Amino acid sequence: MRRARPSGSAHAGLTDWFLQRVSSIYMAGFVVYVVLSLSISPVHDYLAWRDWFAAGPMRLAWALFFLSLLVHAWVGLRSIYMDYLHPLWLRFGVLLLTAFGLLALGLWSAQILLMVPA
Amino acid sequence: MGMEKNKKRPVYLNLFKIRLPVGGVVSILHRVTGVLLVLALPLSIYMLQRSLQDPAAFRDILARLGTPFGRFAILIVIWIFAQHFFSGIRHLLLDIDVGIDKSAARRNAWLTFAASLSVVLLTGICL
Repeated sequence: MRRARPSGSAHAGLTDWFLQRVSSIYMAGFVVYVVLSLSISPVHDYLAWRDWFAAGPMRLAWALFFLSLLVHAWVGLRSIYMDYLHPLWLRFGVLLLTAFGLLALGLWSAQILLMVPA
Repeated sequence: MGMEKNKKRPVYLNLFKIRLPVGGVVSILHRVTGVLLVLALPLSIYMLQRSLQDPAAFRDILARLGTPFGRFAILIVIWIFAQHFFSGIRHLLLDIDVGIDKSAARRNAWLTFAASLSVVLLTGICL
């Protein structure tokens, strides 16, 4: 039998598993809140939409949502790559592109959150 | 010796040669929809940004979403999201041993389809 490969730090998999669950629970709650909130009192014009988006804790809630989204996408995509991308150079290249792509999306959403006037 | 006999064992899983039970289909769909949602992110963030820019851009985004193509795209994205959402909830429940036995797991896999299609129907009625 071949010798088993070392599996990296023992806690890393558990951290991924945990982050995936925590981010999913936050996002699920947030999305349900957004859908209910906009269904109960729909916004029809620009100012109402902007106020709803940026009012008080909502902006912070959006920030946490985007953060959860990036973490969730990273962990999810990474586990898909590990299952289907076998040549190491390919896996590494795609991981690198994904990392920069997600970071760019995160910075972009941060810019939106900061530029919307209260 | 045993290793020699097994030279032709599959070294990876060919998804097209496996007849998956419904739980497996839901699991794969969770991945596929997840990837699709990530791919939809740039356009979604762009539309969010435009809608928050000024009243004209807001109206423009609403008008684009209101076209037949826009409505169709909304329904597709909502189906993809809802399927990911419900299969995700199924996975979370499986984590805490809810619906873990075979028949319940199978029933809940079908339920994710029913739930996501219901969401799409409901949205279609509201649009």
